[in-house]
Amino acid sequence: MKKILVIDDDMTFVAMIKASTDPKKYVVESAGNGEEGLERIKESIPDLILLDIRMPKMDGIEFLKEMNEKFGKEKIPVLITSNVSSLDKISEGVSLGVRGYFIKSDESLQGIMGIIEQTLNN
Amino acid sequence: MTVTVVSSIIACIAVGVNVYLVIKNHKVKEILGKKEKDVSHRMYELAILKELGDRVGYSLNVQEIVDVITDSLHQFIEYSAVSYMLLEPEKVIFKMHLENSVHRRFVNDVRDRMLGSLGALLDREFDKKNVEEILSGAILVEEIEEPVRSFFNIPLVIDEKVVGVMTVADTKEGLYKEEEMTILYKIIQQASKAVTSLQGVVKTEQAKVNAMVESMEDGVVMTDSDYRILVINPAAKRVIGQEKNKEVTIFDFIDNLGGKMDIRGRLEESVKLKKDYVSERFGIKDRFYQAFVSPVRTMSDLNEGNVLGGVVIFHNVTREVELEHVRDDFTSMIVHELRTPLSGIQKASELLRMPKKPASFAKQYVDIIYQNSSSMLDLVNDILDSAKLQAGKFEISKEPADINEVMSNRIDFFTMSAAGKKIQLTSSVEKNVPKNVPFDVQRLKQVLNNLISNALKFTPEGGTISMNVFVHDPGVQVNTETEKASMHLAEAIPEDKFTALPQSLVITVTDTGSGISAEHIPELFNKFKQLDNKSLAPGIKGTGLGLAIARGIIGEHGGIIGVVSRVDGGSTFYFTLPLLAQEPKNAV
Repeated sequence: MKKILVIDDDMTFVAMIKASTDPKKYVVESAGNGEEGLERIKESIPDLILLDIRMPKMDGIEFLKEMNEKFGKEKIPVLITSNVSSLDKISEGVSLGVRGYFIKSDESLQGIMGIIEQTLNN
Repeated sequence: MTVTVVSSIIACIAVGVNVYLVIKNHKVKEILGKKEKDVSHRMYELAILKELGDRVGYSLNVQEIVDVITDSLHQFIEYSAVSYMLLEPEKVIFKMHLENSVHRRFVNDVRDRMLGSLGALLDREFDKKNVEEILSGAILVEEIEEPVRSFFNIPLVIDEKVVGVMTVADTKEGLYKEEEMTILYKIIQQASKAVTSLQGVVKTEQAKVNAMVESMEDGVVMTDSDYRILVINPAAKRVIGQEKNKEVTIFDFIDNLGGKMDIRGRLEESVKLKKDYVSERFGIKDRFYQAFVSPVRTMSDLNEGNVLGGVVIFHNVTREVELEHVRDDFTSMIVHELRTPLSGIQKASELLRMPKKPASFAKQYVDIIYQNSSSMLDLVNDILDSAKLQAGKFEISKEPADINEVMSNRIDFFTMSAAGKKIQLTSSVEKNVPKNVPFDVQRLKQVLNNLISNALKFTPEGGTISMNVFVHDPGVQVNTETEKASMHLAEAIPEDKFTALPQSLVITVTDTGSGISAEHIPELFNKFKQLDNKSLAPGIKGTGLGLAIARGIIGEHGGIIGVVSRVDGGSTFYFTLPLLAQEPKNAV
């Protein structure tokens, strides 16, 4: 069982990920913003984080900085999942040690599942 | 005998008459001659002034002007030499034009006399060593031992300041009378008057130009061809972070601009190739600039003019860069906000298409599609409204309507969502509120939707949202009116916003939410300022266009909109609708 933490304020996206992952292979947890995300990690370290950029309270970039500080850089694989169009934020994320990124609206759920599997197997 | 006597008498009379006529004739001639002379003096004066005008144009070069006078003076006054002395900052120019050859001593004598009179006029000593001598005309001849016998000085005065002296000298004695002196004096006075007034004009113009350059927001630096700074304004000093009163050199610019712009190289290129240069944008500290470098040429002829140096203009583009950022942020926010529901719809449909999923999931996905498409529609409408507002094409149709009905309609609409968050939603309309106030019902619902949904967002579970409607009368304190209606407000409403209002409806929406810190309030109704929703308030989501649109709608009604808030104590949003139709205005 692999644990995926989805940190995203887009509840639809969270629901879609939960609905399309194989429950025999994955446990999906969610957090509505960076702060909640840090709480979840404190409880248990996930195998993969799907991280949104634009979120209230604590956005994805701040979350990455905090997480790197508290849990060590590149300890937990992170995929940035965003609908943000500018690459600035994404490249900032890359400099903070994320594994990759995808634009939510550019990928199908099946495609996302493929990316998740690939990241976890590497 | 008698005949002789008579003829003698006649002869005498004739002689007398003749003598008289001769004398009279002589006198007339004398008068005529004097008149002629006067006329010729006048003509000469005029001619010389015309020549001055023609040859010197608008030159302010005193030497050039004095040259014109000395060149043509011999037409009128007889002299061996005409000369002038002009004061320069470092030296005295002494120029002498000889009509006849003289001895060297003659020249020295005139020079010393002139230095003496210049010294007397200015009350200071002049050293012969500082005199730069220029001789022209006839040559010096050692054999002619004629001293200076006639001589007079006319001081050269420009703008009430002695700038030099002009001298006419001759080897003959008693040559110059009052008349000659007066004429020369008059000419010089006229020329001086012309120069003084021209200088006055130039001074005024220069003062204008200086004031303009000084107060320009763009930095201006002019250098000579050796990169010495000739002109610099405070804005240019600000570019490199220097104080207004500090002396700066080109090296200060070189040091501070670093690799951002090669100011010296660009100036050199510009001056040598007579070419303009426009730099890329570059940032210094928190400001952005674009530099324009051009050669500075003399005004006479732009193509062939001499290059005096170069000018660099630092155009401050910080505002443009900021605006571009705001626009980019806005675009990416819109893209984000549109993609999110679209991608939700896409993903939900994808799940619906999967054959394996049980049918019971279908309703959930259809709900998601419905919610996402609705929120997208709202967003598209908001974008459209804000675009219309910006273009000034926002239209409202006012009809007499009952605010009471609109309020209860909205209460009904939001009851479900409020109940979901265990929030109490109430409204109270004062009895004296008329039922036929002109407003656009649909647009007013839009304003209320925005205020109520915001309040719902920020009010924690168990809180309350209360709405009130009352009539504000001119001259009455609005806070007295709210007290009378026993309303609860987050804070007192600022009275000054209400002083100029006509009789109006006041609608308030008060929540018990997190409140808004004072520094964010001014940005709240501004379309581009609230993009950074993190800084606005924790937990807010969406485009933030809603309040900007609300402000536009209320403005179109001729009302005002505002907010009072206390952090952790809740907020009261208020807006007004005039009881009688008013001209649209800025609502904040």
